[in-house]
Amino acid sequence: MEGDLLTTTSEALGAAPPGHIASPNRRRKGRSDLRTALLFIAPSALGFLVFYLYPAIRGFYFSLTSYNLLGTPTWVGFDNFVKIPHDPMFWNALQVTVEYVVLNIGFQTVIAVGLAVLMQRLTQSTLLRGALLLPWLVSNVIAALVWFWLLDYQIGIVNQFLRWLGVHPIAFFADNLWAIPTIAAVNVWRYMGYTALLVFAGIQTIPKQLYEAAAIDGSTEWKSFWRITLPLLRPVLAMVLVLTVTGSFQVFDTVAVTTRGGPVNVTRVYQYYIYQKAFTEGQFGYASALAVVLFLILAALAALQMRLLRAGESDLA
Amino acid sequence: MIQFTRRAALSAVALGGLAACGNGSGTSSVVQTAIDTSKASGEISYWLWDNNQQPAYQQCADDFHAANPNITVKITQYAWADYWNNITNAFVSGTAPDVFTDHLAKYPDFIKQNQLQPLDATLAKDGVKTDIYQKGLADLWVGPDGARYGLPKDFDTTALFYNKQLIQAAGVSAAQLQDLTWNPSDGGSYEKMIAHVTVDVNGKRGDEPGFDKTRVKVYGLGLDGAPDNYGQTTWSMYTGTTGWTFTDKNPWGTHYNYDKPEFQNTIAWMRSLIEKGYMPSVQSVTGANSGDIFGAGKYAMITNGSWMIGQMFGYKGVEVGLAPTPIGPNGKRSSMYNGLADAVWVGSKNKPAAIKWVEYLGSAAAQDVVGKRGVVFPAIPSATQNAQAAFKAKSVDVNSFLIQVQDGTTFLFPITDHAATIGASMSAAIQAVLTGQAQPSSLTAANQQVNALFG
Amino acid sequence: MSTLILPPATVPTRRHRRATPGRVFAWVALIVAVLVSLFPFLWVLRTAFSTSRSLASAPSSLLPVDFTLGAFERVLGLSTHAQAVAQGGSGASMNFWLYLRNSVIYAGSVTIGQVFFCAMAAYAFARLRWPGRNLVFGIFLGALLVPPIFTQLPNFILVKDLGLINTFGGMILPGFFMTPFAVFFLRQFFLGLNHEVEESASLDGAGPWRTFFQIVLPMSTAPVTTLAILTFITTWNDYLWPLLVGNTEGTKVLTVALGIFQSQTPGGSPDWAGLMAAALVAAAPVLVLFFAFARRILDSIGYTGTK
Repeated sequence: MEGDLLTTTSEALGAAPPGHIASPNRRRKGRSDLRTALLFIAPSALGFLVFYLYPAIRGFYFSLTSYNLLGTPTWVGFDNFVKIPHDPMFWNALQVTVEYVVLNIGFQTVIAVGLAVLMQRLTQSTLLRGALLLPWLVSNVIAALVWFWLLDYQIGIVNQFLRWLGVHPIAFFADNLWAIPTIAAVNVWRYMGYTALLVFAGIQTIPKQLYEAAAIDGSTEWKSFWRITLPLLRPVLAMVLVLTVTGSFQVFDTVAVTTRGGPVNVTRVYQYYIYQKAFTEGQFGYASALAVVLFLILAALAALQMRLLRAGESDLA
Repeated sequence: MIQFTRRAALSAVALGGLAACGNGSGTSSVVQTAIDTSKASGEISYWLWDNNQQPAYQQCADDFHAANPNITVKITQYAWADYWNNITNAFVSGTAPDVFTDHLAKYPDFIKQNQLQPLDATLAKDGVKTDIYQKGLADLWVGPDGARYGLPKDFDTTALFYNKQLIQAAGVSAAQLQDLTWNPSDGGSYEKMIAHVTVDVNGKRGDEPGFDKTRVKVYGLGLDGAPDNYGQTTWSMYTGTTGWTFTDKNPWGTHYNYDKPEFQNTIAWMRSLIEKGYMPSVQSVTGANSGDIFGAGKYAMITNGSWMIGQMFGYKGVEVGLAPTPIGPNGKRSSMYNGLADAVWVGSKNKPAAIKWVEYLGSAAAQDVVGKRGVVFPAIPSATQNAQAAFKAKSVDVNSFLIQVQDGTTFLFPITDHAATIGASMSAAIQAVLTGQAQPSSLTAANQQVNALFG
Repeated sequence: MSTLILPPATVPTRRHRRATPGRVFAWVALIVAVLVSLFPFLWVLRTAFSTSRSLASAPSSLLPVDFTLGAFERVLGLSTHAQAVAQGGSGASMNFWLYLRNSVIYAGSVTIGQVFFCAMAAYAFARLRWPGRNLVFGIFLGALLVPPIFTQLPNFILVKDLGLINTFGGMILPGFFMTPFAVFFLRQFFLGLNHEVEESASLDGAGPWRTFFQIVLPMSTAPVTTLAILTFITTWNDYLWPLLVGNTEGTKVLTVALGIFQSQTPGGSPDWAGLMAAALVAAAPVLVLFFAFARRILDSIGYTGTK
């Protein structure tokens, strides 16, 4: 889930690469390639229709029913949707997840950009870049389990270190204050190197002359970063954000393998709540309604961010 | 599927009487036709989750095949983490196994969803007696409609595991741990013991002045994860001694008693233990494995279930002892009594063979085999004794677990509808009290919500 | 011809590499990031070489506790039940090479299908002109937002209705044709392709098919390879779907098979050493792939398709 969506960010580098001059398309003026195109997209379209669209439509249908997976669905109209705003667990899940997304994406993006700039200015070493990418290569579940052991209150090495420093140990995964930031941090760990590499590639597209000109004019590294790098990275960043935010909202594995939503709902993220309703409590119809709400939220967010993208079209002349 | 033919109806009425004798809970309202298992043949699939028990069951399968050469049993094992998800998906997709290990927490939902095959008629026809098991176990597997949906397989109880070295270092003898008393107001000699074996980083014990409850090195009593609404290994062994019951009747009650003072005072007592520093906080143990922490020497004692014996005794450098749970206000001990059974899927394509396999698993022949491996306590008393001997051979004295059965101080795992929904909301409410975010009286409101589900 | 190797960063000649505080700080930050990335792997390694039942006795030691190769033996299926239990590990049987083969078949097939079909679709979205092109592309992208809970069960039921449970066909089916990411990824690249080559091809009389197969694809080996590797890695690490659909010995993939090292009983702990060894072994092919293609991936992971 998260992995899939985050690996999609490479496209982020804008629709038209800066500096590329499109030569006029001399062939097929006015003639549509419709038939060829249809043949080309046929297999993908088949996959899309059968494995994405159809299940999605079926999912929308289930959200209008009461269904426990083993019987037959009973039509209830919009009852599920009416129930949702009155469900305190829904608001809890939403709040917990939003907090998670803000922390996760906030830190991940800042760190990724920072790392990208460092890689740009300091070193081109494949080894270092490979080291940063390593966390992304293991599965979500293993990452969660390893960090859970490392951060365990009683036997984890991090808390041993804290005790040695004279600081109170922290129940990282379960404390009211620390739980969500910890889960966010684990996922930042997992994806920061990968995201950094994507941003790094975006930085590569910025013409070196700009930096050189700025340096001649007496600009410091810091200033160049704010005045050149960041603005020109905007389209890249915006695209990266759309996809990482979507993936982040769907966080699940880390929670499922460690705290399972507890204690007292402090880590009951939205996707986990959906699964709990669907499979543990047998309320598949209600869970589907929750999923539809998530879909709408994500679509709205994506649309919003796409608008920002358009506003942030490349500032290169 | 239950077929209704005139002949079936007549035989069902006739068998109703026999079925009643077998399970003692009255005539079944489910119309059943007995399935002829005499000519059973073919292959059937069997699912279980504990891979420590797989060799035992493989042997049972081999023995069964030797006795019934026409039937082959194919065993598949899934980790507990995946088991129920797989079962549910298999039900939905129609690929469920013929026979599978069923659990009391899940089986009410399965009955409601019509996924389990009623067995009474066939069992009666084959002359299988259901009164040969440890007391109370067989009744658990009779549904609200009076039909039987499983034959008992094994059972478990809870006891106190303790770290022998830590106990000795505290100057406590094993004998002193065998007769502790408890009450919800001051914890009795149980709490005094817990305090005495708690040690902070400066070496001060919990009952000495200067004990620093914020820097505890060894907790007197550990906590097996964030307690849930059953409290099987965390609090039910205490409430069971106060005369408190989960529901108005069990199985198939419709009214929960989480609003009673006995329950709320027990939870309040546990919270006081945490506040005094004798027990770890809920946050520090959520998701963690209590066995591993015990094995790291952080707990002097911990209440846990008999299925954990293998793991608890397997930690290097830790010598483990067992003591029964403390005696409470009613003058007796108490332990939750859980049992597993083997169930047949209603959609099985080979019910004769499936039911024959279940009958075999429920028989002394199979259970003796399982007992001799010393991993669990089989449901048939003679097999339980085999298990006790097998444990003894591994230097584990399981008397602390079995004494509850012998003295009749066990109570059954509560079985009601809406188990999962109740579990979710009630567990959160209990955890809120234990973490200090809510008062014990808040459990009354939570209880009302739970009872509202039953309409 | 667009080059696909990004130019090395050039340092403005005016600046020389002296250890300014800023530079030192920057290096420290980078080193910290690398250490934080790698530290858990040290942990995985150390645990994989330990004896499971001894782990609790030294929970924060940085070195293996009671060094043993037992965990790897369990993972590779070289250990007997008795040996495994003696170490406190999971005693289930592991037909390792068979599961490895299954993983290769599964990940390989999905990768081949996905990359090929998505390349075709991406070309249609990027290079061919037809009405509604952008709208359809937008809808394809919408698939990114579909919650997994919607797709998992219906896909499972569909596969079952087709009679493909416990077959490779069933496992491969959903991912074989497309994922929104793959289409997106390649479309961006194709958008940046130099038109001239295609034009000269069309002048030579080549139709879109020939242009695609004989010119465009060969030009795109870097991003296509990158996509292939990314897809392979993601599919290799798949757990939930193969668990649902592939449960027989002949179809169980490595990640599913290694699930036996998880906790077996409620409240039981996983076979930690076995689990960590399993994680390493399952990731090993991916790591090998990665380092073999490191330069290629790292340079073109965010290819822009231009210089």
